[in-house]
Amino acid sequence: MTTSGGGVPTSDEALLAVENVSYSYLERFPALDDVSMTVHRGEKVALLGANGCGKSTLLKVLAGLLFPDRGRYTAFAAEVVEDRLEDAQFARAFRSRVGFVFQNSDAQVFSPTVREEVAFGPLNMGLERDVVADRVNDSLTMLEVLDLADRAPYQLSGGQKKRVAIASVLVMNPDVLLFDEPTATLDVRTQEWLIDLIVELNAAGKTIVLATHDLDSLDRLADRCVVFSEEHRVAADGATAPLLADHELLASVNLVRARGSRADAGGPGLRSRRVESRQTPEMSRSSEVPAGRPASS
Amino acid sequence: MSASSTTPAWLLQSEVGLCPCACVGKRRKGRIIEKTTSGIAALLRQTLFSDDIADERGLLQRLDARVKVVSLLGLLVVAAFVRHIPVLLAMYAATLALAAASKLRLSFFVKRVWLFIPLFTGIVVLPATLNVVTRGDIVVPLGTWFGHHLGLTRQGLWSAGLVVTRVATSTSLVVLLTITTPWAKLLASLRALRAPRLLILVLGMAYRYLFHLLNAVSDMYVARRARTVTAATDTTSGRLLVGSSAGALLGKAQALSDEVHMAMIARGYEGDARSLDTFRLRLVDIEFVLACIAGAVATVGFDRLLGR
Repeated sequence: MTTSGGGVPTSDEALLAVENVSYSYLERFPALDDVSMTVHRGEKVALLGANGCGKSTLLKVLAGLLFPDRGRYTAFAAEVVEDRLEDAQFARAFRSRVGFVFQNSDAQVFSPTVREEVAFGPLNMGLERDVVADRVNDSLTMLEVLDLADRAPYQLSGGQKKRVAIASVLVMNPDVLLFDEPTATLDVRTQEWLIDLIVELNAAGKTIVLATHDLDSLDRLADRCVVFSEEHRVAADGATAPLLADHELLASVNLVRARGSRADAGGPGLRSRRVESRQTPEMSRSSEVPAGRPASS
Repeated sequence: MSASSTTPAWLLQSEVGLCPCACVGKRRKGRIIEKTTSGIAALLRQTLFSDDIADERGLLQRLDARVKVVSLLGLLVVAAFVRHIPVLLAMYAATLALAAASKLRLSFFVKRVWLFIPLFTGIVVLPATLNVVTRGDIVVPLGTWFGHHLGLTRQGLWSAGLVVTRVATSTSLVVLLTITTPWAKLLASLRALRAPRLLILVLGMAYRYLFHLLNAVSDMYVARRARTVTAATDTTSGRLLVGSSAGALLGKAQALSDEVHMAMIARGYEGDARSLDTFRLRLVDIEFVLACIAGAVATVGFDRLLGR
């Protein structure tokens, strides 16, 4: 047992591990190329990289939603392959231990009401209705959206939808939480709330893996970073602070502007020199991505 | 690559836009973009208005949706079997009373019901009032046609009146049900009536994503309008616009559906739709069911008393 940067105990137990994983969309558009990484229990790991580098695709592989063309994915000491996930018992165990919060909350919040949305996961896990009803109320209370329980999704704001999406995953009490661009499209206050929540969940023993290109809050969001190059490979894997200080590395993977560039000259510090501004809701809508391509990889 | 080396020269020069003298160009109204965006806005407004009505604390809003569905469907069946206009008019009056008790504006309710009746029912039953279709006593002569007397018959008018009042009563019952029940609860009530769960799941998601896709259409058309600088248009470009929009929307819908499916799988969906609903009858529900049964029995009895 070791202690992460945030003071949260982590163990050497490998929960998720990908080895030499490659994946291409439609067998034409590469998203991951020979990627290897391991996530240990209790860690907060950030997958860092520019748009289209493969972060979201890797999260979907870790969630058992996409299966690598090459390489091997192991979760909780069992290999995760499509055939094995067709086994109801294995699928139920795996799905209840790995929760995935999508970037596009509109895709995740699909039920007619918030209450039904949050109940969807635990009902599929086969929990008793009374237990599910209690858990739903607890989750909605925790995320401060109990008053929205009978609302329809189209009546919610972006921040409220994100809270509902997180509640719908937390209600299953997973060991590992995967977040795809958790702070994108959120206003500043909701971002702060979400970062605090992620830190709190990690402190409670949850393992966190998140994909982001937002460097602003990284020191709080992650103890360790896996940096992806634009060639869809792992460019670096290490503790957050030294990686954030490595300007050359971040510039080479298109996360900050290279020193000496016109915009960089005389400009502010690293944090405000991000290449990409935060996405607007319109930009982040996965529905604007052509069919068959990743929403944001 | 710097911006200065790639920016074309024409982009660095401002161009004359609108003639500063006055607005003297052609004005065209009723184009497809404007019609579509205003139609979408009207639909969303209507939905929000319906949601507000369903949230009121009126009589029907207080009832369990399942009780409402069963009771009002029962009354619908009764209306289908009634053979006398006065009885149907009494039933219609009862629906007006229910609307008032449910805090619906009567003018809105009546308009909503009677808007479609002349269109869909009136046109269908109109020929039946003529003596060439329904033989009988002519009460409104319309002249002669090829040597034959033409007019509206008492029997024809009675049949047409029966159909119109029956449709008005039935439509009123359906409008009462749908306007006082949120869509989610209506779906839950269908589940309680043993409708296939998968069908309910698909219906629920279709309704939910309808709004999402409507917003997408609205965004597309507003973006198009923002770049439209001429009023000139023709049917070919209109068809092209509709075709390309439909194609783009289909692509968006497919990408969204892929992602929604993944979100469902990630939370353990295995093809079987489950729901949290539990069915508990309250006193007000029982009272309403009993009132409906009493009303149905009285209606059928009175209708029989009047004879054939």
